[in-house]
Amino acid sequence: MAERPEDLNLPNAVVTRIIKDAIPDGVSVSKEARLAISKAASVFVLYATSCSNNFALKNKRKTINAQDVLSAMEDMEFEQFIEPLQQCQEAFRLEKLEKKKEKTPKPPPPTVVRIDDDDKDVEEVSDSSDDGGSTKKKVKDINDEYEDFQITVNHDNDDDDSPQIIDDDDGD
Amino acid sequence: MAEKSLNTLPLSRVKTIMKSSPEVSSISQEALHLTGKATELFIQALAKFSYQQSSSKSSLQYKDLAEIVNSEDTLQFLHDIVPRKIKAKQYLKMLREQDEDD
Repeated sequence: MAERPEDLNLPNAVVTRIIKDAIPDGVSVSKEARLAISKAASVFVLYATSCSNNFALKNKRKTINAQDVLSAMEDMEFEQFIEPLQQCQEAFRLEKLEKKKEKTPKPPPPTVVRIDDDDKDVEEVSDSSDDGGSTKKKVKDINDEYEDFQITVNHDNDDDDSPQIIDDDDGD
Repeated sequence: MAEKSLNTLPLSRVKTIMKSSPEVSSISQEALHLTGKATELFIQALAKFSYQQSSSKSSLQYKDLAEIVNSEDTLQFLHDIVPRKIKAKQYLKMLREQDEDD
């Protein structure tokens, strides 16, 4: 394989930290013991992966998913890991949802409405189609504040705060 | 924040190990996460259990691990990784006895 030997090992510092947390304070761990645990952990990953992969293949899938990992733990007789792993799974899913919420802003789409020439209010509309980006951005910001309004107008001076809904039915 | 990251195995490394297995095509992000977590739990369990079985309460030695690996069925997959150590004298004696049997 192309990997160098150290790539298949887990970082010593982290392994040591995890060991120290598991045993009482003040207990020393020999270097040999530490190395053995580190190697054992790497082999554990391989074993778990192989097991998980078998479950995936059994279900005609090429991608190992979370359930495969859980099934593998049971198969390997590490059932005591299943519950904490399920909790971890929940937390991971929640985190993913949170991140998704942050990324996608709420609709409606920031469309700038074209106003007919004979409409009085056309003065207030800044026809800044050149910098379409900034226009869109302003519309988006306004959209965030005034969710009820589907159509917004790009006001340059915000004295008149509430965006007006251009109603084409007004004039004849 | 630094403390937290020291307790978590780097997923990139875990992924490298997982992908070194030839039959593996791809791994979901969630599966990677869980494998990492499972490995942390494993290290804790191995260390804790070895220490509990050990005769010395002030230190954890290689032989404590070898003992556990030898006695626990679930740790059979580690037999070659954490073997018991014997003196060369003993090993040579074993070889001789084997030859005698054959």
